[in-house]
Amino acid sequence: MKRVAITGLGVITPLGNSVETFISALERKENASIYMPGWEKYKGLHCLVGAPARLEDEKLIPRQNRRSMGRLSIFAVQAAQQALKDASLPQEALSNNRLGCVIGSTMGSAESIAEAFEILIPDNDLSQLPSTKFFQCVSHTAALNVGQFLGITGTVMATNAACASGLQAIGAGYDLIRTGQQDIMLCGGAEGLHPTVVGSFDVLFATSTKFNQNPKATPRPFDAKRDGLVCGEGAGIVVLEDYDLAKKRNAKIYAEIISYSSFGNGSHVSESNRQAIASCINETLIRAKISPKEVDYINAHATATIQGDKEEAAAIAKIFGDQIPVSSLKGNIGHTLGASGAIELIASLMMMEKNRVYPTLNLEDPDKECRGINHVMQPLSKKINILLKNCFAFGGINVSLACKKSA
Amino acid sequence: MTEQEVIKLTNEVFVDSFEIEKSKLLPQANIFVDLGLDSLDVVDLVVALQKKFGVTIRDDERVRSIRTLGDLQQFILTIKKEIGK
Repeated sequence: MKRVAITGLGVITPLGNSVETFISALERKENASIYMPGWEKYKGLHCLVGAPARLEDEKLIPRQNRRSMGRLSIFAVQAAQQALKDASLPQEALSNNRLGCVIGSTMGSAESIAEAFEILIPDNDLSQLPSTKFFQCVSHTAALNVGQFLGITGTVMATNAACASGLQAIGAGYDLIRTGQQDIMLCGGAEGLHPTVVGSFDVLFATSTKFNQNPKATPRPFDAKRDGLVCGEGAGIVVLEDYDLAKKRNAKIYAEIISYSSFGNGSHVSESNRQAIASCINETLIRAKISPKEVDYINAHATATIQGDKEEAAAIAKIFGDQIPVSSLKGNIGHTLGASGAIELIASLMMMEKNRVYPTLNLEDPDKECRGINHVMQPLSKKINILLKNCFAFGGINVSLACKKSA
Repeated sequence: MTEQEVIKLTNEVFVDSFEIEKSKLLPQANIFVDLGLDSLDVVDLVVALQKKFGVTIRDDERVRSIRTLGDLQQFILTIKKEIGK
């Protein structure tokens, strides 16, 4: 099996549209949650807080590429461009079928889907629908658009698994390179913020509803006062490369992916399950051939839901006890859904580079059911050689990925 | 509807929906070669024109022979006259 290196990073986040601006904002402990004007018109929507990204420079994408892109695809393309530039790949790398992309999102562009139905439903009139709206709405819209825009002729795939989309994409790319099917993969996830998406969590009582007048105080992962998630948006894309080829061209290597696993919990469509989470994390450790104490940092999924946070904390406590620093970045950027695994992995790789763990923002008093693990509540200087990234999605889809600093 | 109104509203569609500079919108401009529209754009052009002018043109055979902006504007004018507007 080939080894796999991460050689390029690109992000669009609620705290900045580049890795540099995003990380600077994390270092300043910024929170992107704001009261979303206009959401109050949705009857029955209780959460009025979101963490939007800024859509900018979209017209730099030529119209005939941009016409098939909803909001999340624009984010994905911009992040992919950044990652490619960061990786400094040779020009010819894009022009053969050994370079592919795997990009996921929860769904097609929510905004475009809403627009399409707003056009269609009043008179059941299909004739008013623009053709390009369809390409914005399909579930594989991010992969479709990145693939077309960059002229990718390698494997183009979409991993659409809600909050696990981005990390599953990276895992899929890892497997394609490991097995020798591809040499370079652009992988990650994207999502667009829209009240209908928030609404789907809202009806499940999973959103934060008590902080509409004080948005900066939410979300609160692991905290005793947490009351649910805040939806964000953006994109995270990494360049994965055959490790030996990366070394040969003297590429900058952020880290090596040393294992990945994804398992279902087979028990409930929306509830997390600590045994299933622990089982997934354990398998990741086994595949990496490392013991729990060799992990230096865990970037948690922890979205600030009552149920999810405590299940993840229990699983981490069971395997790692309180020895390994744990933090969730959702206190800063909310839950960027399909993009979250990729954006948060990228932040974790920067923590690895800087030997610094960013804390869980808004975590002031760990809930009693989330204790027993080493919560990072202030910035921590620590050498990170091996990190673990977790993501858990609706449908009981659990994903865990381990990276090791490259020598 | 006057010819001037048809020209103005057609141009608005090309500027707003296809981001084409107004200076390129000459009657002799070929929609595909000069204005750069492709087959996917034509589908959306039809939708946009239908909405702009309140007409149905999608299934009209005459659409197929349109090549220039001038052809399109004359076609719209004809349709509007046919429906008495």
